[in-house]
Amino acid sequence: MMRQLIVFALHRLRELEVVEADDGVDAMRKLAGSKFDIVVTDINMPIMDGLKLVKRIRTDEAHKNIPIIIITTEGSQEDRSRALALGANAYITKPIQAPQVIAKVKELLKLE
Amino acid sequence: MDEKTSSTPPPSQADITRERESFVRNFLRKGVEFTEELLRENDELRRHAQLLERDNAELRAQVKSDDAMRDVLRTIERLEQEKRNLLDRSSQLEQATRRYEGRYAAIEQELNDLANLYVASFQLHSTLKPPHVLQHIRELLAQLVGAECFVVYVLNDDGKLAIPVGSEGVAESELTPVRVGEGAIGSVCASGQSSVKQGNPLGEGSLGAPLAVLPMLVDGQTVGVIAIIRLLEQKEAWVQVDQELFHLLGAHAAAALLAAHLYQKEPDLLSALAGLSESLK
Repeated sequence: MMRQLIVFALHRLRELEVVEADDGVDAMRKLAGSKFDIVVTDINMPIMDGLKLVKRIRTDEAHKNIPIIIITTEGSQEDRSRALALGANAYITKPIQAPQVIAKVKELLKLE
Repeated sequence: MDEKTSSTPPPSQADITRERESFVRNFLRKGVEFTEELLRENDELRRHAQLLERDNAELRAQVKSDDAMRDVLRTIERLEQEKRNLLDRSSQLEQATRRYEGRYAAIEQELNDLANLYVASFQLHSTLKPPHVLQHIRELLAQLVGAECFVVYVLNDDGKLAIPVGSEGVAESELTPVRVGEGAIGSVCASGQSSVKQGNPLGEGSLGAPLAVLPMLVDGQTVGVIAIIRLLEQKEAWVQVDQELFHLLGAHAAAALLAAHLYQKEPDLLSALAGLSESLK
């Protein structure tokens, strides 16, 4: 549900082409060999959660500088701190609001 | 007297000549003096005329300068009027911009709300497996409404008890059936009317006094209720779209649960479709 909401929001930014991934492993698979401008991930995902995904991306030479937005659960300060410590550039707390997602993505990609 | 006069000797020719010459000299001298005086006056007049000409030129320049000044003043006045017009126009445009910005923000909000409602509706009806429908109701409550603690109840087959079937943030030991008509949750089961606490901040509710109790209805009949006990820390009050989400949950969650429940009794999709065409006639 949240993925659908985020995709909905990101489709409002005409400059972006959105690629969806089912979980962290799928995300890493899709990242490999392609160039992406930004990653937006939930902290709660099956198989590989958002925090592990952030860690994996930051240790991957090809994508270590890609901006990452993490959606944290229930505004947990611990999750937010961990996400930022691992290298996420920004976080968004639930409930998800499309304008919030759009604003963060624009800010990190320096879009008008 | 004649005798006396006649006694004065007549002037001699020489005297007459001298007297004549003296007269002529006097006459000539006076003529010269007169001429010199005339020349002086002439010079004086010429100087005066030059002064007048200079004054005249200055006056003429002054007049020209005054005309130019008047032109400049007229131009300034015209420019000031244009400036006033532009300022008026700018002010009108600013007001229009503010109106459009307000409208744009409202449309953005409506679009966002509609997206939330669309996603919620889509998710509720995207599956025919009761646990999945329940999972979507939980996600909807957590991710769209921002509920941290909530319980989903479904009425039992005699309609007298509301049985907890799903929850978040509530201890297992607290999840007990609720008698229809009793307490805040039981009352909503009986009436089919939602009960939503208002306030900002809303604070924390309890199972005895939830922040919201929402009936799930099919054809106006209560199938179950959703009790929201607490919101996420960062959400202090309801927002506009929450009311819409409550309506949507009330109208769609029960239908989705019921459809999924009925469908699971069928061995396959075609069996579920049996008789549908007849019932649509």
